[in-house]
Amino acid sequence: MIARDRNWLLVFATCVVLAVVYPFFADGYQLTVIRDALIFGLFAASLDFFWGRTGILCFGHAAFFGIGGYIMALVTLNDAIPLGSLLGIIGAVSGAAFVAAIIGYFLFFGGIRGSYFTIVTLAMGVICQQAAVSWSSVTGGDSGLIGIPPIAFDLGGLPVDLSQDLPSYIFVAAIVAVAVLALWSISRGRWGTVLTAIQDNEVRAAALGHNAPLRLLVTFILSAAIAGLAGALYVCMAGLVAPDLSGLLLSTEVIVWVAVGGRGTLLGPVLGAIAIQRAQQTISSFNPSLWPLLLGCVFVIIVFVLPDGILSIYARLKSLFRTRRHAP
Amino acid sequence: MPPNACSRACASASQVLPDAMDFIVTTLLNALTLISILMLVGLGLAISFGLMNVTNLAHGEFVTVGAFAVYFVQSIGGSFWLGLLAAPIAGAVVGCVLEFAIIRHLYSRPVSTVLATWGVSLILQQGLELTFGLGAKPVTPPIEGTFDLFFTVYPAYRLILIGIAIATLLGVILLISRTSFGLDIRTVIQNREMAEGVGINTRRTYAIAFTFGAAIAGLAGGLVAPLAIVLPQMGVNYLANAFFVVIVGGVGSIGGLVAGSVFVGGLTSVLNYQISPSLAQAIVLLAAIVAVRLRPNGLFNGASR
Repeated sequence: MIARDRNWLLVFATCVVLAVVYPFFADGYQLTVIRDALIFGLFAASLDFFWGRTGILCFGHAAFFGIGGYIMALVTLNDAIPLGSLLGIIGAVSGAAFVAAIIGYFLFFGGIRGSYFTIVTLAMGVICQQAAVSWSSVTGGDSGLIGIPPIAFDLGGLPVDLSQDLPSYIFVAAIVAVAVLALWSISRGRWGTVLTAIQDNEVRAAALGHNAPLRLLVTFILSAAIAGLAGALYVCMAGLVAPDLSGLLLSTEVIVWVAVGGRGTLLGPVLGAIAIQRAQQTISSFNPSLWPLLLGCVFVIIVFVLPDGILSIYARLKSLFRTRRHAP
Repeated sequence: MPPNACSRACASASQVLPDAMDFIVTTLLNALTLISILMLVGLGLAISFGLMNVTNLAHGEFVTVGAFAVYFVQSIGGSFWLGLLAAPIAGAVVGCVLEFAIIRHLYSRPVSTVLATWGVSLILQQGLELTFGLGAKPVTPPIEGTFDLFFTVYPAYRLILIGIAIATLLGVILLISRTSFGLDIRTVIQNREMAEGVGINTRRTYAIAFTFGAAIAGLAGGLVAPLAIVLPQMGVNYLANAFFVVIVGGVGSIGGLVAGSVFVGGLTSVLNYQISPSLAQAIVLLAAIVAVRLRPNGLFNGASR
């Protein structure tokens, strides 16, 4: 096991321990805050899984989050459908994956990469939000849908009810931990290596026999499916769904979480999401319109000062000390 | 785009003369209005995105700044035409500062350019909102009346808009094909190293070309201000549509720009009659994606090859 992997697992284990210990010190409200932040962390990890490994930026990832959320809401609010929560999650994941498959097919097999992909996904996000607002007979328009029940299902005869703070926190934390670990093991293995090869030189990777468009497409679908799962979880925890969930601002925020946490680390984006949301809540309590302004500044600062995210400060300091030690 | 204004103008016109010819002419003119605006907004993007390879997500804000310039001039008592003069200047100033402060440092880092220009776009939007306050800003057109076109009556201002847009485009074509600065631009685009080798200041050429594109987008914003809902967030729709224009039309030629504008603008305004604007947007997006899949080099380039 190489050192980088060991470090990653170490950080991951520390996070898991912190997540396990946290409920003993936190009250119900704090638990729900971290729970919701963790869901957005899962969302950030899903974007990082695609962006981090392929180098292609998806600027409308909230579309998949929103699609997942709306499908979950529609399924669980419909009394005629049995097993609402379970079918809702399945529907949310496959719905987001389906949309990603259609859009991704045309783009990747059409040779669309880089900036072009970013632009088209940006437009996709804009349109998703517009559709959520204007298709009001289904989506509830601007005000969205409310009264979505918490997740509840039978686990082999054992009823699971997530209406309380602690069980829902445990459920979300477990899902996030499993998903991040799974994404990490995919991206560090052969799959991720081939993706890196495609990112470095697609023509060469194709010459070595790799079907580059197909790999990118499957990665994109997987990324969208996880985003849809995050959307479904969020909607059940919040109890409502609104057009903002598929909007451009959320697409923007998730990019900041990934960029601040460190692209390609999967764990960094989760931590970035938690940290930035805390900051957002504090700042928004002073003045709500200040937040997008600061967000814009964060973008510019990241690009010029911290292109590799906050975690890179540690690596930079380390290399600084190392050169000092060797210098004399 | 201003779909509401479009459909309103069409509805009022078609009530006067419920006639097939009237409908066709009105549809064509509405499409032409949209196509003109898209050409002007897309021109700057064709320069920065298509030729300099810079993905500028703050391009929509040039349009917003132009529209706000007209609003501001009118609100302090100036005429619309004075505002229309201020619009490209405002766009140029913002574009010049953006190029100087951010974009020129990131020519070799495309993803960073996307993030940084998006940050600037957010800053500009919020800055405008903090300065001018919430809500839509009223901009009155310089001419209220309609113009009798034999088949139909059409708002006179829209005809002026189409005229100014076409004149601007012709001016740009002349500038690029006939002046020495146009020659510099074409040289730098074809081969940057060689252009430097023969003594062209490529940095300055890029900066001027970028500023020029921003000024044209500002002009487009000023022109569209009386028809559109002037909001700090209005830019993003123009941004998305202008990118479609450039992607669908293919980069590198005025012909591609016109083809892309006709495709996106024509499809949008025809669909706007039948279905809701956001569904029309979605269909235009899908059509653009399919078009790109079929003709990756752009409609125009693909056809000529």
